[in-house]
Amino acid sequence: MTERQRNIRLYIPVYSIFIAIYIFAGILEPSFFTWRNNVNLFTRITPLIFAGMAQTFVILTGGIDLSIGSIIGLTNVIAASLPFLNTPLNVAMWIFIPPVIGLAIGLINGVIISKGGFPPLIVTLATGAIWQGITLYIMPIPGGAISLSIARTVTGFILKMIPTPLVIFLVAVFIFKYILKRTAFGRSIYALGGNETIAYESGIPCTRVKIWVYGVSGLLGAFAGMFLSSWMFSDILNSIAVAVIAGTSLAGGRGGIVGIIGGAYIFHLINNILNLLAISTFYQFVAKGLVLILALAITSSGATLNIRGLIRRYILPKNKSTEET
Amino acid sequence: MRDLSVVRFVVRERIIILLFVLIIIMFVIGEIVSKGFISYDHVGAVLRTASFLGIVSIGQTIAILTAGIDLSVGSLITMGNVFTCMFINGVNANTLWAIIVIVLLGVLFGFCNGLGIAYLKISPLVMTLAIGSLVTGITLIFSQGAPKGLASPVLRYVGVGSLFNIFPVIILVWIIMSAVFIFLLRATTFGRKIYYIGANENAAFLSGVKTNIVKALAYAISGASATFTGALMAGYTHTAFLGIGNEYILWSIAAVVIGGTALTGGKGGYLGTIAGSIILVLLESILTVMKMPEAGRRIANGVIILILISIYFSGKRQRM
Repeated sequence: MTERQRNIRLYIPVYSIFIAIYIFAGILEPSFFTWRNNVNLFTRITPLIFAGMAQTFVILTGGIDLSIGSIIGLTNVIAASLPFLNTPLNVAMWIFIPPVIGLAIGLINGVIISKGGFPPLIVTLATGAIWQGITLYIMPIPGGAISLSIARTVTGFILKMIPTPLVIFLVAVFIFKYILKRTAFGRSIYALGGNETIAYESGIPCTRVKIWVYGVSGLLGAFAGMFLSSWMFSDILNSIAVAVIAGTSLAGGRGGIVGIIGGAYIFHLINNILNLLAISTFYQFVAKGLVLILALAITSSGATLNIRGLIRRYILPKNKSTEET
Repeated sequence: MRDLSVVRFVVRERIIILLFVLIIIMFVIGEIVSKGFISYDHVGAVLRTASFLGIVSIGQTIAILTAGIDLSVGSLITMGNVFTCMFINGVNANTLWAIIVIVLLGVLFGFCNGLGIAYLKISPLVMTLAIGSLVTGITLIFSQGAPKGLASPVLRYVGVGSLFNIFPVIILVWIIMSAVFIFLLRATTFGRKIYYIGANENAAFLSGVKTNIVKALAYAISGASATFTGALMAGYTHTAFLGIGNEYILWSIAAVVIGGTALTGGKGGYLGTIAGSIILVLLESILTVMKMPEAGRRIANGVIILILISIYFSGKRQRM
């Protein structure tokens, strides 16, 4: 199987689920297909796409980043507490300071995890608490605001036609896909996730790659934070779910970026549809759980094989299976 | 000869001995910071709080020993808490059946976790996350977002009362459960199978262990211990709260890891988790006594967990 074929296999489940859900939403509410609603959707899913990409990078190395929610919160608060002016200096600050801080925080995570050889789950859990504490020092109660002109630019249109968020996330997905697939750094991530010992013995600088992977995660988390007005702590788990629905294996070494857009859409559309159906938020948790399990069962490649195995074992007649053996 | 066996015991259980020494040191620090920290009442209060964390962590320990993880414990605690109050509604006679139903619900949802993880091969992290969402929804539907009902006097007694006015009942419950589960893990075939699966699932399967069933049962135990904790908490808080369990997801994982159980599975045990639970609660207590603000408490918590794991894992390499 060539790389291209493997990629297509990886993305078929997530995008077919996405298309099914999207069409279902459109049938429920015809105005769903309107351009305006879709522009709205682009804005809504952008943070989720960035968070999902952040998580994908880390998960591909076989790690996990539970601090992503705190990084998003911290950079969001920093972006909101920068001076409230429209000068070019201020705009530049808004564009550069949060990502730099996100990158720095991610690198700290990476250094602790790879230099110390500690399990990422617990390290990012602990550092997440630290970033949260710092966030609370900066802004004990919700407040602050970002300059309106920046907000309008980010959520507006380019040339009055093309929605900026769409451009931003498409460009970001393209760039990070390129990094993952076409650069030595990206290939080392896959090698590392596949088998760390072999990767190390093949001369891949595992420690350095790991540090930078968490750096990238922090950077992308910062982008998500800049797009967001509020992000709940529990949503770190959503970023993991989005990455997994997009076809990335939590064992590391398998998966990619391109499915992320579909994954983020699926996640967001489930809520959207339930709202359209006027289902109470209480039932939405149940539905979300069920759809998530279904999507996971379809997208995790181990599952399909296993279902086949189960059918062979329990549903097909007994004597047939003995004949085979 | 006898001396040698003592040495061997110390070497084998060095992590746990170290942890309990750490607990004593922390009590001493607490006493230095604020007089009365090691008074009988305060130590009792710390252990009482730790027992809730400890009981949830029974399940978390078992899940992590199979090289998995259970993120649905938070939702299950809340469900146990809310449903207990609803079922009991302040009447003593309802207590027993209510708790049995609650524990069975925990077994049911835990088993769902296990089925997805073992048979559909969904990663434990996301499977338990999905079931957690499902359980939250069910809790909200049945409580209509506004939990009603009260704990009964009997349950109150278990939650806040003391045996002969001396020994808190909840700590006794914790001790009994600890003894049962330490025995289960160390001395039964089921317990050994959990370790085998965590150490090497394929090898366990090829040696004739029914890995899927054992894994599903491990998560069922985890679910039951979570809902049971929720029920006990109802005794402590008297009324139900939505979201009471949220913090326990990460706390229980932290307690297990501080207790020396490897996240890769197959290594560790519940005795360490007991120490881990006490350490986490003690830490929170010391920081509160020091009048640290919320923000500082979180930072201190994070830093201390980092220090603890750096002591364990220095030199050892581990994934996830």
